[in-house]
Amino acid sequence: MAYAVELLDITKKFPGVVADDNVSLFVEQGDIHGLIGENGAGKSTLMNILYGYTQPDSGVIKLFGEETKIQSPHVAIQQGIGMVHQHYMLMPNLTVLQNIILGRVPKKGLLIDEKAAKVKINKIIESFQLHIDLNARISQLSVGQKQRVEIIKALYRDARILILDEPTAVLTPSEIDKLILVLRELKNQGKTIIFITHKLREVLAVTDNLTVMRKGVVTGRLTTKETDTHELSRLMVGRDIDLRIPMADYQPGEEVIKVSNLSVFSKRNLQAVKDVSFSIKSGEIVGIAGVEGNGQTELIEAISGMTRIEGGEIQFMGEKINKFSVRRRREKGMSHIPEDRLKIGLSKSCTIRDNLILNWYYKKPYCKASVLDNGKLQSLSEKLCKEYQIKTPDSRYKLGTLSGGNMQKVVFAREVSSDPRLLIAAQPTRGVDIGAIEYIHHKIVELRDKGKAIMLVSAELDEIMSLSDRILVMYEGCIVAQFRRGEADQQTIGMYMMGAKKQEAGIV
Amino acid sequence: MKWYSSIIDVCKTILRQILLIAVSIGLATLFLSVSGYEPFSILQGMWKGVTSDLASMVRWSTGLILAGLAVCVTFKAEIWNLGIDGQIYMGGAAAAALALALPEGSQFLSVSAMVIVGMLAGMLYAMIPALLKVFFETNEVVSTLLLNFIAIRFVEYLVSGPMQDPTSITKLNASQKLPLWTWIPRLKIFDPSPANIGFYFAIVAVIIIAFVFYKTKLGYEIKIIGTNANLGVYGGMKPKWVTVMVMCISGALAGLIGVIEVAAVQHRLINAFNPDFGFDGIVVSLLANNNPVGIILSGLFFGNLRNAGIAMERVTETPSAITDIVMAIVILTITANFAIPRIRNIIKRKKMNKEFTPNRAGSEN
Repeated sequence: MAYAVELLDITKKFPGVVADDNVSLFVEQGDIHGLIGENGAGKSTLMNILYGYTQPDSGVIKLFGEETKIQSPHVAIQQGIGMVHQHYMLMPNLTVLQNIILGRVPKKGLLIDEKAAKVKINKIIESFQLHIDLNARISQLSVGQKQRVEIIKALYRDARILILDEPTAVLTPSEIDKLILVLRELKNQGKTIIFITHKLREVLAVTDNLTVMRKGVVTGRLTTKETDTHELSRLMVGRDIDLRIPMADYQPGEEVIKVSNLSVFSKRNLQAVKDVSFSIKSGEIVGIAGVEGNGQTELIEAISGMTRIEGGEIQFMGEKINKFSVRRRREKGMSHIPEDRLKIGLSKSCTIRDNLILNWYYKKPYCKASVLDNGKLQSLSEKLCKEYQIKTPDSRYKLGTLSGGNMQKVVFAREVSSDPRLLIAAQPTRGVDIGAIEYIHHKIVELRDKGKAIMLVSAELDEIMSLSDRILVMYEGCIVAQFRRGEADQQTIGMYMMGAKKQEAGIV
Repeated sequence: MKWYSSIIDVCKTILRQILLIAVSIGLATLFLSVSGYEPFSILQGMWKGVTSDLASMVRWSTGLILAGLAVCVTFKAEIWNLGIDGQIYMGGAAAAALALALPEGSQFLSVSAMVIVGMLAGMLYAMIPALLKVFFETNEVVSTLLLNFIAIRFVEYLVSGPMQDPTSITKLNASQKLPLWTWIPRLKIFDPSPANIGFYFAIVAVIIIAFVFYKTKLGYEIKIIGTNANLGVYGGMKPKWVTVMVMCISGALAGLIGVIEVAAVQHRLINAFNPDFGFDGIVVSLLANNNPVGIILSGLFFGNLRNAGIAMERVTETPSAITDIVMAIVILTITANFAIPRIRNIIKRKKMNKEFTPNRAGSEN
């Protein structure tokens, strides 16, 4: 069969790193092709080259057998390449229709010919089963629907090749199932799909062929039917990975945090957390499952002291801390890995050191009479880099030079090294590679076994289910269900996450 | 990281800024020749400034360095203090009022008292927008800017009313001459230029600010909050407190400029005595990449430029406003900084295409 996309010997160097080293990618026409690899393996760079964001230093791109050059995304779109980004490129206050035709507006004289656009879009919707309300505003849509809009947008621009960058990262189990159906339909109608991900289970479920990358080189070209998770993870990471985590027996100790009847308002002044009560004991991991935007953010911010509480009470180590400042809570033994590390937890343009010392810079012996001891802070940050396996030659480099996984390790090192009593870990493994996931999961369990209390908030149900001793499900600001380890399967929890069910019993 | 890599970085930055200056002066020269003036008068003026009129350069750069510092402190914390001019007026007015009230005594003590009072006045005036921002979330860009006009009019009122020189026959809008013992000493070697020991104050201020930035708790908090305010809140800092502190420092530095202008240059409080140091300070800080040490260099450069403009106007037909054009071009080029990497990309792409073509021709044969 003919190749839709051929990338031959692509090399792309960035200062200090070779992102792609003589990488070749062959994607057959009408294929769902998985491109997998850890973060920093070079898959995003490769796709950015294909989509015209960056130019390769050397190498040849062939589309449908013809050699071309893609200088910009505009050219890529003309050539029939569509990309669905991990972070959706949509205007929240425009309607679905407006977003789709943005950049390619059918005109009737000087006016926008909405009718012609609707006809074309409806045809796409019908033939690919991508149902959506064209007049809804983007801000009203769920994450899965937004993704659908992105796919329609690409098809509207006559894409023959679709690149999907980590499409399942933010979806619920049922939304993932729907996406898979859509992808199959696209394939049936002759579209070629490149599916970028690091989640192996989905890769095996969806794709036909696979290209595995590690550290800028291709480590494997496989047919999906002939491989398994084991082989794939070895190709991705370069060694055998043990995703089963050894855990000590569940022995909860004293109550560390107790939240009673907590109410919190969101920034848009809507009640985001409604009358929530729960507690976490030492030596216990409590997982909070739920689709994003169901009040988890506000709950975390309320507990960590970053937002005001409307009602209810938070007790930490038996003390009411409603009015405590962030710093006071931290000094009492609270630590917090924020869900959006770049927005809240890190400063990209500061050095790695500056990011690591956030909890120490004002304390003795690092700071005396407001004067910092830069030497001591430097050796502290070097020590943390070593201890937490942050890969950098020197912590005086800018944080922006690190990969996503290493950035997360910076946050993790900073928050865990202060020896907290309670660790709030929100999306601790979002967008990090398998190696780092393994590392962070092991460390979290290690903390639990040492008798720390851990509140794990994650959109990844797998993560919640494998780590948590107890699982709470949040839906629309309420806790709607509680399970002990092993009490419920993915499907059951998924039902509660979607609000289809609700437990009536009181939750402790 | 090798020990010399940071030095290389600094050299690179300096080179880039010099290139920027060269481009701006080149464009201004072009402008001059197109409009029929002596095209090389800026360069001549600047050359004279360095060779034979160092004094004037020092006189102008004192204010510019301090203003650049005042801007830089707030920029680092992502706050805009556009009210430096107003704070200069308040500092100058307070120092003049104190000088006229002081009894005859030691010059050292009187000048110290004036410096302190002037800095306090600038600081208090900067506190108004700072507190408005902290308590009412007022946009400081607007509030600081508007407070300038109040300060200018306030000084005008003072020198045409309560503080006007009663002995003056011409009724100038100016106060009485300050008594001799309240003058800030001028630099002897530069006599008779108004270059004064304020320049040393400026250098000391640079050292103090650099120390604050790189060696203190406050400097670290400014850095974190300035690059990601969310991170500051999350780490338990108090961004509001930092806002107030930063505005205080900025206002105090501005007040110091006022004291120097009044007590060392004019020797009286004059209507509109401030030659727009505040806004030029923004350019000084921008050119120095908000680096306190770099501000000395860029302050000296703009001091020289301004002096060149004035000298030029005296000797040739060229209007001194041409220096404003140079400044404007510097601002434009800095704000359009993204253009340089872009142009570099285009050149690289062209090169790549060239390399590509023969290859392809070869394969087709």
